[in-house]
Formats: sequence, structure tokens, C-alpha cells
Amino acid sequence: MAPGATISSTSYYKLYFHAAKHPHQPVNGVLLGQQVGNVVKVEDVIPLLHHWTSLSPMMEIGLDLAGQHADESGLKVVGYYQARTNVSDVGLGPVGEKILQRLQEKFKDAFGLVIDGEDFGTDKAALIPWIYIAESSQWKVAPGSEAFTPGSAYQLASIDLPTSAKDYVKQGLHQAFGDFDDHLEDVSIDWLRNRTCIPFEA
Amino acid sequence: MSLSDSLQKLASYRVNNSRASQDVFKKGEALLKAGKAPRDEEGWAFLEQLALAAIDLDRLEVAEICLQKLADKFPGSPRVDVLTGIRMEATQGITPVLEYYNELLLQDPTNAAAWKRRISVLRRARSVDKATEELIEYLDTFYTDPEGWLELADIYVSNRQYTSALQALSHALVLNPQNPFTFVQFAETAYSASDLPLALKMFLLAIDMIERDLDSPESTPPTGLAFRTWWGIKLSTRHLLEGGPSSPSNTSAPKNLKALDVLATERILSAYKGKELEYQRRLVEGWVVRK
Repeated sequence: MAPGATISSTSYYKLYFHAAKHPHQPVNGVLLGQQVGNVVKVEDVIPLLHHWTSLSPMMEIGLDLAGQHADESGLKVVGYYQARTNVSDVGLGPVGEKILQRLQEKFKDAFGLVIDGEDFGTDKAALIPWIYIAESSQWKVAPGSEAFTPGSAYQLASIDLPTSAKDYVKQGLHQAFGDFDDHLEDVSIDWLRNRTCIPFEA
Repeated sequence: MSLSDSLQKLASYRVNNSRASQDVFKKGEALLKAGKAPRDEEGWAFLEQLALAAIDLDRLEVAEICLQKLADKFPGSPRVDVLTGIRMEATQGITPVLEYYNELLLQDPTNAAAWKRRISVLRRARSVDKATEELIEYLDTFYTDPEGWLELADIYVSNRQYTSALQALSHALVLNPQNPFTFVQFAETAYSASDLPLALKMFLLAIDMIERDLDSPESTPPTGLAFRTWWGIKLSTRHLLEGGPSSPSNTSAPKNLKALDVLATERILSAYKGKELEYQRRLVEGWVVRK
């Protein structure tokens, strides 16, 4: 059985800020963490792109550097996230699958999180987990009870994260958030850590 | 911020085609409430901009006010009609919205904005095939619209049909031969299509366009698009030196690959200066020397 996952506050805030900053564009990035027993603990997120989110040259470089950063932090790249332009589209799409295939080479249970635009901005987690089903060689929405609700194998570090993330966005904290695309425009943007954006004890 | 500063900021967003919905809404609504909306020609552009921002932020009551003022001033204007359609998209289903745009196009088949909205609605409804078909038809009539070609390329790229994407981008290049962004986009798509020599050629054309006006390019660290382009040059030369796949377009790689690779490394590292960037520089150094 595929492992479940828990998403740390920092990780949740980061992917939330990333999507909130670019409501009209697709965004993507990677999840960093480690596997403990049958749970993948996602401890950090590195935002990659918001211009052209295909498996582009910049994606390749971003993934390499994110991998090096994970090594330095004693973590692994355990998954991938994306939000698509079309809010109701929660599929991985050909590009998402391609990127996950690549992550699987280094972490067998790599999984995807697609931000659900319909639920984004509510008190729900608004994340749909995708896992690889070896028997049918297909990527599918993780089976079982609705993810990020009580009893699911997928949990947030704290149940009120969506609400507090929404409040932080209201305060405009996400405006300073930067991804690898931003870093390629302005080298001083700290896309690997985003420390100015996550100043609180997350 | 004073009212005239706000107005200036809003005008600069319009010129730069920057949506910045939250800021536009905040400044624009304040101006509207204070009764300080500009009354000259610029006032109509202001109302259109504020309406769009209000729709983005789901503040439809403000959008309504703007739309009403615009409709009173310009009854039957295609531009206002399309804005009304965008307002409909926010609350109504796909079918009535598509019908509305059909209606507009029956009245005026040359209403390019209505065409493009219709295509965008189809794309969102995940009728990608239909959207592609209509976009191609649209470009038959409005060949000189580079945005249309970029959108078509985007549809192909999201389906990983890179060769078709390159064809669409080549039209955008012809129409926009001075725009280095289009060249970089072409280069990145060629890279995704595994045509490394073609990617490198386009990255080099782009960097030449961006840096040719610098007084001493070799001593000025690259910024903005130049920085991204140097990364693209570095990645392409690295793979070509490793003996990458042959070029589907039969483009030949430049002879001086080694020198280009060294130059690209220098250019990239020159941007990582100072204590703040020490950690990033170390990671990047690790990346550039990797075999």
C-alpha cells in the first residue's frame, strides 16, 4: 500500500502563497521530506515555476537545485505540486505525470498534490493527492476517504492551516513570495527558503 | 498615496498590461467612491480596468457600477459587450456564456476579443480540441495577432506536442522579431522537444538581442531575461558537450561549444554576489561543475 502523508505548516503556507500569488497562471513546485514508517512527512516546499510549467529547461535546473538543497537539509524530494489555470481542473495532466515519473527514479513513492481551485480560499485543505498505481501503470487520485479529513491517510499538521493561510494572504504576506521563475528574473529572490515570507513560527 | 499618484500607478499597469488585480481594485475603488474617477478619455479605460479587477476578486457589485457607466457611454460597443461577457463568465454556466459570445460573433464576425473569450471559455470547459480548432480558425482571419499564436503554442505545450508548439511559435517570431521573450520561449520549447542545437541557437539570438546594447557586457552581471537566457545556454551546451540527441530540425551546433560553456558559467556565477547569496552561489557552483 502506498504511504500516506502529513503536510507541515511551512509546506502548506508555501504552496498556498504560491498559488495565491498567481491566480491566473499555473504554478508548480516540489515537496521535500522523509518517509517515517508508512507516512511521508512533507517538511518543506520549493516553488519552481509560474510562466511555462512544462518540463522545460528551467524546470530541469530548478529540480536539480531543489534536489541539492534537499540533500543539504537532510531531506528528499518526495513529491510535486501544481495548480492549474482552470480552477476546476484537478488532473495531473501529461506534464505533471512526466515530472512525477522523474521524481520516482529517486523516491519510489513520490506523489502529487493538485491544488483544487474550487475549494481554495475556503476552510478546506483544497489539495488532491495523486499516487501511482503500479498494477494499472496509471496515476490516480489516492483512494480512501476524502483526503485531509479525519480518518484519511493524508493530514495537515494542524486542521486550521487553511484558515490561517487565508488570513495571511489577506494581510498580503504572499506578495513577497518568490519561486525559481522569479529568481531567474531577480537573483536576490530567495526561492529556496522564502525566509522573508514565512517569518512566523510555522 | 495621493489620488494623482494612484491614477498614475493605474495608468502604468495598463501600459504594461499588468493585471495586479488586488492593487488595481484597492486604488480604483477608492477613486470611484471619492468621485475622483477621471472624466476624460482615460476615464473609460480606468472603468474597464477596475471592472476586470473587481470580477477577478469577486466584487461583482463594483464591476456592475463600472459596466453600467460604460454601457451608458458606449451603447453597442464591442469592447463593452465583451466586458459584459467576462462578467457573465463569473456567475453563469458555460452554455449561456458560449451562446452570448456566439451572438456577438453573428452580429460582428470581426470582434476579435469575443473570439478570444470564446476560445478561452472552451479551453476552460476542457473542450481543448474544439478550442484548438477555433483558435486555428481565428488565426486564419487574424494572422497578425501574436498573442493568438502564443496561446496556440501554450495549448500544444500543455499536451506535450512540442513540434506543433514550435510551428505556432515561429509565427509569433515572424510577427515579433524584436521581442527577445518570444525567442527565449521558442528556445525553451525547442529544448523540451529535445532539439538542443535549435534551442541553443535561439538562446544565443536572444542573448545577442538583450546584451548587444550594453557598454561592457562581460563586466556587467546579467539581470532579468539575460540571466534566464544564460542558464538556458549553459544547460544546452552542457548536454551538447555530453553528446546529446541529434537535431530533428537538422540545426547544427556551434563549433565553439567549450568556450560558450565556460562563458555561460562565468556569466551565471557573476550574478551571485554578496553575503546574502553565498548559500545559493555554493549550490549553483555545485551544479555547474557537475558532470
